[in-house]
Amino acid sequence: MKKRLALMTVLIFGLSVALMSCVTTQVKPTEKNFIAPKVSLERFEIPQYDGYWYYAKSVKPTKGDAGNRGAMLPMSFLFNVENKNPYPILLDGITFTVKFDKDFAVVTYTCNDQYWIPAGKSDHIRATTLITARSALLSLLVTGGFKLKEKGWSPWDALERWWKGVPEGTTPVHIAECSFSFSADGVSKTYPYEMQAQ
Amino acid sequence: MKKSIFLKLFVLLLGVALAAGFSTVAAAKDIIRIGGIMDTTGGTSDVGKDYAIGMSDAFKYINDNGGVNGKKIKYTWFDYGYRIPEAITKYKMLKRMGSVIIMGWGTGDTEALSPTVNKDKIPYVSASYSAHLTDPKKTPYNLFFSSDYSTNARSAITAWFDKKWKNHPDFGKRKPRFACCYMFASPYCSAPIKAIKDQARLLGFEIGEDQDVSLFALDTKSQIMALKSFKPDVLWHGNTTMSVAATIRDAYALGLGADWIVDNWGFDENLPRLAGEAAEGVMGATPCAFFGQNVKNMDIVVSSAETYSPGVPLGKRLNRTVQAWGDALITWEALKRADRKGVDVTRKDAGEAIMKQGFETLRNFDIGLGAAPISFTPTDHRPATGCRIQIWKGGKFHVVEDVDLKKRWPELWKTKWLGW
Repeated sequence: MKKRLALMTVLIFGLSVALMSCVTTQVKPTEKNFIAPKVSLERFEIPQYDGYWYYAKSVKPTKGDAGNRGAMLPMSFLFNVENKNPYPILLDGITFTVKFDKDFAVVTYTCNDQYWIPAGKSDHIRATTLITARSALLSLLVTGGFKLKEKGWSPWDALERWWKGVPEGTTPVHIAECSFSFSADGVSKTYPYEMQAQ
Repeated sequence: MKKSIFLKLFVLLLGVALAAGFSTVAAAKDIIRIGGIMDTTGGTSDVGKDYAIGMSDAFKYINDNGGVNGKKIKYTWFDYGYRIPEAITKYKMLKRMGSVIIMGWGTGDTEALSPTVNKDKIPYVSASYSAHLTDPKKTPYNLFFSSDYSTNARSAITAWFDKKWKNHPDFGKRKPRFACCYMFASPYCSAPIKAIKDQARLLGFEIGEDQDVSLFALDTKSQIMALKSFKPDVLWHGNTTMSVAATIRDAYALGLGADWIVDNWGFDENLPRLAGEAAEGVMGATPCAFFGQNVKNMDIVVSSAETYSPGVPLGKRLNRTVQAWGDALITWEALKRADRKGVDVTRKDAGEAIMKQGFETLRNFDIGLGAAPISFTPTDHRPATGCRIQIWKGGKFHVVEDVDLKKRWPELWKTKWLGW
């Protein structure tokens, strides 16, 4: 009786291993059969809004240290990643630059967290960035200074308009220089994407 | 008998389970953690973003090409927005994560972190090429692949003297006049000023008053007007590309008439795009080639940019990518050498051994990319003994001169110029 039980256990274990290997090796990922996942922006949101303000370091704060500080503007991007492949894929890299008014880069986001996306399924991936009126000012001055000058905009006017317009949905927000990296069983692929957040 | 069957069965299943478990553990153990502190949103993001992307490309390429003798690198980087307090916070986090080497960025934060890095014995490979970081007696864990800023500055003024001043109608009749434009408060901008003035005196220049030009300057007319009365023959600009472009545009518009020599972070493919015809004839320090220039290993840099960062058009990539590769390639070589000598490069306390068995064994190491051969010794962390100076002329960059300071002034190089 116990011998039969032992044999049954071995049989079940062996079958499980065999079936598992069948599932994972049914279609082996290759450079040729890897289908580019479809990535789209499901939703763009401002998770917390604190208005527009800026204090120069000459202003004494009620508490803490003085400094050049501006209002934070967190931005949250919910991506939909659709894996059309007949095998699971690992998303292990996201990079993109957020641009306001199409031309003005305010932050570059990168993430190497790992997310498995099952075969034929979609997954939601959230990326959250955080900028301040101070960080955006510095970035704007060194990367967009000449463009501002051409448009006749002052950096302060641009910042105020963006800090008010982004949460209200009136400032165009663009995801540029974007790429998502995937891998599956030794095959690695990076694809470019472009998206309009609002 | 029955007990024995069960026992054998149990041992067999346990063996399978343990083998599966340990294979994961083994894989995780073979990971080399490297951290990065980059500026993609701050005051030097005009050059920092391309560098950050290039560094990420380089480590992906390294992993796809054997890693460190089979061991994979896990490269984790953060944007610190060119803010020193944030760089310190990020450094502590990367240390907690077990980084064996950290790829850093600016001069202010690299110099501020240097005492901590020395105490922690973590090799810190920065994009700051400040000469203050080259004397191992003071900064034994700071490294970079490029000629340092002081070597760049000395080389640039020497090349101008050799190639421009010697053909000037006033050559031999009077002293050439020289002044510096840079942001006084920026540690990066001010790092080589003492050295370039020393070199100017050595070559017999008359030195005018410095002009304070912010890294964020879009209007520099007042500084140009102040320079006009001095009638400079040549000016050094020590900022990054955007403010260099603004200054040379204003100088051109106001008819200043002086030549420009520029430090490496102000001299890239964007300079002629931003400065237009004012960029004609501007010379600069180029410790490595421009993106796509026909030099050894550039094909790898370009194809990696296409493969790993397809979202960024190749036409927008800069020599900053190439500079990032320079630092990544010396790191790769140091890790491979240390690993071959039996150092466990995955251990978070391996920094000292990686420095001694890796970085400090490099002698005239050729990374290609138009860079000078690289050496580090336990007594001298100046990677290169001179710098290539190029000029923007007729829509292209051209080599002006490869200045080798050590060959030309061997005694001064050996006894006087280390560490500043």
